[in-house]
Amino acid sequence: MGLTVSVPVSEPMTSETELLIIGAGPAGLFACFYAGMRGLGVTLLDSLPHLGGQVAALYPAKEIFDIAGFPAITGRGLVDRLVHQARLAEPDIRLGEGAGSLDRGPDSVTVSTSSGHRIRAGAVLITAGIGRFTPRPLPALEEYDGSGVHHVVAAPEEYSGRDVVIVGGGDSAVDWANTLAPYARRITLVHRRKRFSAHEHSVNRLMDSTVRVLTNSEIATVHGAGRVEAVTVRDCGTRASVRLDADVLIPALGHIASLGALKDWGLRLSGQQIEVGTDMSTGVDRVYAAGDITTYPGKVRLMAVGFGEAATAVNNLAVRLHPALDVFPGHSSDRAFRPIPPQPQEEVTTWRM
Amino acid sequence: MAYVINEKCIGELDGSCVDVCPVDCIYEGLTKRYIQPAECIECGACLAECPVSAITAPAGTDPVWAEDNRAFFALPLPGRSAPLDSPGGASGSGPIGVDTPLVTNRNQG
Repeated sequence: MGLTVSVPVSEPMTSETELLIIGAGPAGLFACFYAGMRGLGVTLLDSLPHLGGQVAALYPAKEIFDIAGFPAITGRGLVDRLVHQARLAEPDIRLGEGAGSLDRGPDSVTVSTSSGHRIRAGAVLITAGIGRFTPRPLPALEEYDGSGVHHVVAAPEEYSGRDVVIVGGGDSAVDWANTLAPYARRITLVHRRKRFSAHEHSVNRLMDSTVRVLTNSEIATVHGAGRVEAVTVRDCGTRASVRLDADVLIPALGHIASLGALKDWGLRLSGQQIEVGTDMSTGVDRVYAAGDITTYPGKVRLMAVGFGEAATAVNNLAVRLHPALDVFPGHSSDRAFRPIPPQPQEEVTTWRM
Repeated sequence: MAYVINEKCIGELDGSCVDVCPVDCIYEGLTKRYIQPAECIECGACLAECPVSAITAPAGTDPVWAEDNRAFFALPLPGRSAPLDSPGGASGSGPIGVDTPLVTNRNQG
C-alpha cells in the first residue's frame, strides 16, 4: 500500500477552533464544507499525510457508482471534488497527525495530537471511518522497549556499516532492503510467508542483491539491553531458531486501521464503531460522529449515508455551540453566499457572505 | 456483502492476504482461512495476493462459501460453546485451530 506517514516537527502549543473534525475522508470533507456553511471555524485533522482517507489510500482508481448525481466517478475524482468543496470553509488542515487524548472542560473540549499539539474546540466531530492507520505490530516487540527499532526509516547513509534486519514481505519491506543494501554492512530480510507480495521487479532485484533473505521465518525474540544487539529468527515450518547479530530492526509490516486513542474517550462502542443518536451525538457532550465509524439499528455503511450523517451532525452541533441557531440551516441555494472566482495563482475558492 | 475465501484455500494457508488486510479481518482456521463478513470493508486488497485465487469479490461469490465464511463466526465451532462473533482483529485471536463442519467434512472425504 506504501503509506508513508511523515511525523511533523514537535510543536507543543494550543490552537483554538469552533469545530475539530477528526478524519479527512469523504464524510469529514463534506462535514467541513457544511461547517463552513453554518459559519463555524473548522480544523480538519488526519493521521494520513493526505486528504481523502480510505478512498484516496486504498482505491483511488476504482469507479464508484452510488454517489448521488454521479453515475460513475473514480475515488480520486470524488476526493478532488470533495476537497474543493471543503476548502470553501477555509479550514485549518493538519495532516500526518493523529488524535490522542480528550480533555473535557466546562465550555470546550481539548484534543491532544500525536505531535504534541493541543486543539481546544467547542465541539469535535469524529469522521474517522475504519480508524487510524498505524504500523502493523510485530509481536516480538511487545516485550522489547529499547532503541534501535526504526518504524520510520532514516536517510540511507545512517545505515552505513550497520547490521540491519528488515521484517515484512510487501513493497515497503522489499524496497527498503533494496535501497539500504548498498549502504549497510549486512541486510537480512525476514518474511513469515514463503512468497513475497511486493512487485515482481523489486523481488527479482532483491534476489540478485547481497541481501540475506529468510522466508517462512519470523522474529521470535529481540535481544539487547537498551538497544538492539541481536534477534532470534525462527523457521515457521521446522521451528528451528537462529540468532543473528543486529544493530537496527526495521518492522515494515504495512498498516492496519484501529480506533487508537478514541477507545479511551468514554464513547459507547460496538466493536470498532461508535454508537450515536439520531442527531449523531455520542453521549459525550460536545462530541459527535458521522460516516462509517457510527452505528445504530439499521445503519448502512455507504458514503451516501455518511454525507447525510455529516450534515445532520454539523447542524445539530451548531445548535449545541450557538443555542440561538436553528437546526435547519436553510437551503444553500437561498444563501447570499457567492463563490469567489479562483485567483490566477491559486485554485482555492472561498465563499463570501 | 464481503469478500469470501472458498475451498481453494484448504491446505494452502499462504497468508499473503492477511498481511495486506487493512482491518485484519482474515482469520486462520485449521486448514483454511475465513473472512469475517462484518469486519471486511470490501477494499479488495486481498484479492490480488492469493496465490491460488481462493478469494472472490462480493459480486462473484459462491453462496455456499459465503455462508461458510459467515458460519465460521456466527455459529459455535466444533468443540466451542460460543460463536467467535467479531473478535475485532485476527492478530489478537491467533490461529483458531478448527474449521467449519463443511471444511472438516471435505478434508475427511
